[in-house]
Amino acid sequence: MLLTGIVIALVGVLLGAWWTPFVAGVALGLVVRRPIVAIPLGAISGFFAWMLPLAGQEVRYGLGPTSLSLAEIMGFGHAGSLPVILTLAVGTLLGLTGAWLACAARMLVPEPR
Amino acid sequence: MTLDPAVEAPARKQRAKTDKRRKAPAGSTAIRRLPPRRHLANLAGAIMVSALVLYVSFFGAGPLPALGPGFNPTTGAWTMAADAQVTDRTISVAAFGGGLQQPVKVVLEQDGTAHITASTDHDLFFATGYVHAKFRLFQMDLERRQGEGRISEILGKAALDSDRFELQLGLLRTAWAEWNALAQGDPVRDALTAYSQGVNARIVEAEATNQLDPLFTLQGYKPAAWRPVDSLVIKGDLTQTLNFTDTPLLMAQLNKSLGADLTSEWFPVLPPNQQSPYDPGPYPPATTAPIASMRAVTDAEAQSAAALYQKLAALPSGLIATGGASNNWAVAGAKSVSGGAMMAGDPHLHLTLPAIWFQMTQDSPGFHVSGVSIPGTPGVLIGHNQHIAWSLTDAQNQQTFFYEEKQDAAHPNQYMWNGAWQTFKTVSYDIPVLHGQTQHLTVKLTVHGPVISDRGITTSVWWAGNLPSQDLRVLFHIGQASNFKEFRDALREWYSPTHNFVYADDRGNIGLISAGYFPLVAKGSQPWLPMPGTGEYDVTGTIPYDNIPQAYDPPSNILWSANQRQVTKDYPYYIGTAANFFDPGYRANEIHRVLSQPGKLSANDMMALQTDTRDFLASEIVPVLVQSLAGEKLNGKESAALNLLKSWDYRMETSSPAASVWAYFWPWYMAETFDPWWKSRAVPVDRVESGSATATTSLDDTLGQDLETWTLNDPANRAFTAPGIGSRTAQDAQRAAFHKVIAQMARDLGAAPSSWSYGRVHQRTLENLAQVSGLNYGPRAERGDGNTPLAAGGYPSTHGPSWRMVVDWGAHTFQGIYPGGQSENPASTWYTDRVETWWQGQLKPMLTADEATNAGDARTWTLQP
Repeated sequence: MLLTGIVIALVGVLLGAWWTPFVAGVALGLVVRRPIVAIPLGAISGFFAWMLPLAGQEVRYGLGPTSLSLAEIMGFGHAGSLPVILTLAVGTLLGLTGAWLACAARMLVPEPR
Repeated sequence: MTLDPAVEAPARKQRAKTDKRRKAPAGSTAIRRLPPRRHLANLAGAIMVSALVLYVSFFGAGPLPALGPGFNPTTGAWTMAADAQVTDRTISVAAFGGGLQQPVKVVLEQDGTAHITASTDHDLFFATGYVHAKFRLFQMDLERRQGEGRISEILGKAALDSDRFELQLGLLRTAWAEWNALAQGDPVRDALTAYSQGVNARIVEAEATNQLDPLFTLQGYKPAAWRPVDSLVIKGDLTQTLNFTDTPLLMAQLNKSLGADLTSEWFPVLPPNQQSPYDPGPYPPATTAPIASMRAVTDAEAQSAAALYQKLAALPSGLIATGGASNNWAVAGAKSVSGGAMMAGDPHLHLTLPAIWFQMTQDSPGFHVSGVSIPGTPGVLIGHNQHIAWSLTDAQNQQTFFYEEKQDAAHPNQYMWNGAWQTFKTVSYDIPVLHGQTQHLTVKLTVHGPVISDRGITTSVWWAGNLPSQDLRVLFHIGQASNFKEFRDALREWYSPTHNFVYADDRGNIGLISAGYFPLVAKGSQPWLPMPGTGEYDVTGTIPYDNIPQAYDPPSNILWSANQRQVTKDYPYYIGTAANFFDPGYRANEIHRVLSQPGKLSANDMMALQTDTRDFLASEIVPVLVQSLAGEKLNGKESAALNLLKSWDYRMETSSPAASVWAYFWPWYMAETFDPWWKSRAVPVDRVESGSATATTSLDDTLGQDLETWTLNDPANRAFTAPGIGSRTAQDAQRAAFHKVIAQMARDLGAAPSSWSYGRVHQRTLENLAQVSGLNYGPRAERGDGNTPLAAGGYPSTHGPSWRMVVDWGAHTFQGIYPGGQSENPASTWYTDRVETWWQGQLKPMLTADEATNAGDARTWTLQP
């Protein structure tokens, strides 16, 4: 289930659809019955969907100067790690909130007896 | 909430127990079907947090950009890492809109210098546009927005004043007029069209490959397609920066507060000090009247001038020319070590990252030029071809005139001109504003030019930069010239900004010509003040081309310009006052001093002179100061500082404490002399930048010439006896200033004068063009000041030599450097890779395309149709 979520989110991100982790999170929240499982899965899928392409760029080009530049542009000074943290946080939050929203909505529907 | 597993499981058990104990009453089925309140709360929380995350991801919040598209690892700002990699490539431009006729080869040197070789002129300009956009698209977009009044669209209402002013002034109107004047088939029209196609090919490619500059991505907008008129607007930007002045407004306020007599005495038409004009005459007879004395300004005029001056003063820096500084000179073959003519040039501009310049060579059937271009425009502005080399400095003559339009309540929307009421023409604009309502602007136009102020007296402006001109055609012809006649003939059509074009060719000849309009106003006019717009004082023409300042192969074998007045007091035409804003002449004097020394000169001498730090003014004043302090009772620090000055060589080196003493002394001496006048006469114009102990302004440039002259030749001038001060001489003012300066320096820099090295006082910063201070270079301790050939005025200095070039036709060497790098991408090694070489005063060889191909580590692009 986790792998499927990551793959769906990753493919979307690679195609430029940055919001795909949110959709993958929603899917996980609908499919996985227990929120305690679904929500972390959504977060993890979002994290990896944004982290893997970033890691790929680090391997191919090196992201040090880019990260430092982004930190300066955003007013973070020389804290080059902050753009990385922010980026991964965005991916993670997209997956997490998607799963949470789906779980919360699903809980309103009475379970079949 | 159900996020906590430790809470969730017990809660479920408790709910089950409660449900069993509770016996549902009849008729309560509907109530039991309602979801538990905590589920609703959970959903509400999920919706709110999701909405927040999605909103910030889609739209951003506060200082945060839209985080989703902005930081998407595959399409967001992170792609600048991939963009920074430049490799060998074959690019099929057909996929990006096409427009190329034949394959084009682009060789990129190790430092990114581009060498474009094309089979047709069309393809040359197409490739130039593509290469410019590849490395400088954000800069190009920002600069066209600046001139077209579209900054608010990306930055919001904070930029509205700038946008309104630009649309009032009319760079866009002028650009359209220039474009519409180009007939089908005109080579300039073709070049602009091909250039635009090249830029647009790169825009399409960058969007397709997600490699737009991160500042586009983070600000959430995409560049619009490039139009030929955009290139013409960027040319207008530079003209405005160099030549649109507000001096008459300043003079009107000084006239009213200081009085007409002191204003005309302290801000004269002709400079009071000794300068080194490059064209000493003889001159042809004048066709205009001699300069009249200054008239008194009325209250209404002064108030209107003050209102407009404040409006202009509030605009971002760079829109109004506030002073110029550039050097160029040439040495004839008879005086060079190599036997060939030599030329050196270093235009001084705002030093930005990315730089204003992009270095390249252009080779096609019609062009073989090497030098620097301005991204957004297709030609090389400064450089050389196979036979000639050229560079330029700003000529500083007055090209901006303000007119007070006469109006009457009985004639609304009309103004009086030539004895009849004329109706204002109007043109309207919509200014889109980020996160705000689109603003509507109506600009009134008179025969003189646009109305730029309706507060008080309606004021319009005549500005030579608003006259449509085909400067690009001039540049193309310069690039194709092979001798001085062709060079000079090409410049005949150059209107604005007026530049001192220096020239050296492969046959040992040198020349210098101040090409551009020198507007003439009617007899009796006082163009250094706002003038009545009723017709009697209109601009009537320009100085004939043959009569403008120029020289060719002078007997001295040297020519030089450094923004000084080009001619002597015998020149029969009015070309501007000392305050508008000819340089005080110290750089020119120093350059002239070095070049005119006996012996022959080499390219290395040219390079050394470009980084000369000898302050000519200091060399004149410090000996007088030392004399004034002889016999004066001094404390230990003052004696030590005086000893530093006594042994000083007048060089503003970072290690020199004496240079710091001088850097402090001169502004304090100025203050000692002029501040009492400013205070007693309540002069509304600041003489010194606020918050700075050492900075001087362009106003001080003029007053400094006075003070220099009085100190050397008229120490009892009445200026030293200011109201409330009592009778004083220059020596008295120097002594008073010296005591205050040393006390202040001890507070700022410590008790030991030997530790007051100039590098502690004076730094230079290369400023990021998008005003991201973290992407600046510096501040870093820097030598030089505003008076030295190595121009470094300001604390910190943000202006200076934007490009240094030395050509030696005898040795056939061509060298150049600019501070910064070819790429605007801060993650690229080509963002600042040239800075250190430039900082050390070194130059780099300007290679040909073939030499670049054979040099190590070159990358080659092939653009395919």
